[in-house]
Amino acid sequence: MSEQNQTPMPLSRMWSWRITFAAALILLLVVVMGLSFGPISINFQRILRTLLGLPGSLEGQDRTLLLYLRLPRVILAGLVGAALATSGAVYQSVFRNPLADPYLLGTAAGAGLGATLAITSSHANIYSLLPLFSFIGGVLAVLVTFFISGRFFAEPNSLLLSGIAVGSFATAIQTYLQQRHSNALRPVYSWILGELTAANWTVVRWSAIYILLAIAVLISISKQLDGLMLSDEESFSLGINPNRLRVIAVLAATLATATAVSASGLIGFVGIVVPHLVRGITHRVTNRSLATIAMIGASFLVLADLGARTLLSPAELPIGVITAFVGAPFFLFVLRRKRVSQ
Amino acid sequence: MSRFTKSRSLIPIVAILLVPFTSSAHADAHTTIVKSGGFTTKLSAIPHRIISLSPTATENLFAIGAGPQVIAVDSLSNFPKNAPMSKLSAFTPNVEALAAKKPDLVILSVDSTNSGATRKALELLKIPVLMEKAPLQLADAYAEILAIGQATGKVVAAKAVIAKMKNAISRILASARKSTPISFFHELDSTLYSATSETFIGHVYSDFNLVNIADKAQGADASGYPQLSAEYLVTANPQIVFLADAQYGENMKTVSNRPGWSGIDAVKNVHVISLPDDIPSRWGPRLVDFYSFIAGAIKNIN
Repeated sequence: MSEQNQTPMPLSRMWSWRITFAAALILLLVVVMGLSFGPISINFQRILRTLLGLPGSLEGQDRTLLLYLRLPRVILAGLVGAALATSGAVYQSVFRNPLADPYLLGTAAGAGLGATLAITSSHANIYSLLPLFSFIGGVLAVLVTFFISGRFFAEPNSLLLSGIAVGSFATAIQTYLQQRHSNALRPVYSWILGELTAANWTVVRWSAIYILLAIAVLISISKQLDGLMLSDEESFSLGINPNRLRVIAVLAATLATATAVSASGLIGFVGIVVPHLVRGITHRVTNRSLATIAMIGASFLVLADLGARTLLSPAELPIGVITAFVGAPFFLFVLRRKRVSQ
Repeated sequence: MSRFTKSRSLIPIVAILLVPFTSSAHADAHTTIVKSGGFTTKLSAIPHRIISLSPTATENLFAIGAGPQVIAVDSLSNFPKNAPMSKLSAFTPNVEALAAKKPDLVILSVDSTNSGATRKALELLKIPVLMEKAPLQLADAYAEILAIGQATGKVVAAKAVIAKMKNAISRILASARKSTPISFFHELDSTLYSATSETFIGHVYSDFNLVNIADKAQGADASGYPQLSAEYLVTANPQIVFLADAQYGENMKTVSNRPGWSGIDAVKNVHVISLPDDIPSRWGPRLVDFYSFIAGAIKNIN
């Protein structure tokens, strides 16, 4: 990323880098935790040796368990968390709305409809088609939302409203399908609550491509995104084309969200909690801390998934339950503190 | 084999964790191949550490004498009483928790959440999985008992159990089948979800020459469990009501208080029958008990 520095405050920049570094350390720590704990206890040293490819690594079932079950799941949780947190932060600044979340423009409902279609229409290989269907559903819903709202960003509110309408419409069809296929109720329900149980290397590989690409795009335009907090005239005067920037930002964020949703279902609150938390610590508008937000989002979800795997063990707990259980009270706390400080 | 494209990632940890992987296949001369639930299971030896994640499979295992080979059953497998019930979930199985018990066979329901992913993960860990599917008719239920017999080395016993069931059920039907059809409503819950004649339980009622009022709503639900409207139910005027939700507090009194229900024949003649817990959804040897329960319940209704 090229440095066209506009902040004449080196001290503050130092501080920001320190936070980013701390976030990376937290992520590393959390990933190691996620790999170390589970219903089966595996020797910690041997886990490290296996991961680093040193002699004395795990063998047999334990090795398979670590490398094919835990590792892809932890990485997928990290990717999904990073995607949701980053796109949440971007939506919030593009729409100048602190409550905007990654599922805003009908993504969630469209992806839900796609997932329900996959579950109700095919009999044998439901879960191999589900990611593709929900991805297409999510992207289609966003495109329809864009189309209906007409002039893209002439008025951000009209985009929000058409997102709500498209979302309701997709949800209506989804509910109808569920009513016609009662055997799909439980799989759809568990998908809506979010789940990483189906994680494997194939899912990790394709979701990594889209999510990392989208995050890279967002980070590379993050400095300009801060300009969107100004009025459009002021942004123009800074050499930013606000509408073009918004389109790129929303498309990249939607790609990340749709990929996350298709890999893991609807996991709520990450996209709101994490950006607000990081902003609260860094006191930055948003976008310069996008990398930090991505890493904290990843850490948050890896931790939440650790809870999903172990809290109710030997059963699984839907991860969306954990993120909302932690996220909702936290969100209220942030909201209250903001009001008090005003 | 390289399982990754080493792309430059924004999350450095991903790169650190990249490690080479190997996997090996293992074949044996004495393999038993069992087909069940639309899947094939290969077993290289008779399993002695079985985990059953299906109440029906648990009942089947114990009925054919494979009980001693079972080390754990799921949290809903409450029959027979000596089955080693555990906290394992049949709906949301956790692969690691299963592997921790070192099983040599896991019986998994096709209908459990993410059953495909669970099966693949267990097979990665070299744990054979026998898939079990909810039967649509008696023949499917018998096929499942046989499959479990094949998998556990108890084929003879399984065949004996099946023969005994067939015998008992045809004896019950010979004396209890109605000569003139009688209409009924099978209630799954108080919002009037029901089961058509295409479902397993629907077939049981048809065997007694009972006429299912839910069949008019056939096609409303792909798997045969439509929700009926209260108006339709009252005008259909079933002569018998079977309450599968009796264990959730519904009974003669609660249904007669529902608007319009006091005029239904079944309520007027007190032909509202509370079904026993569990048995209607256990498709193993206790099906005989279910058939004889229905026979007894409709004996004096004409």
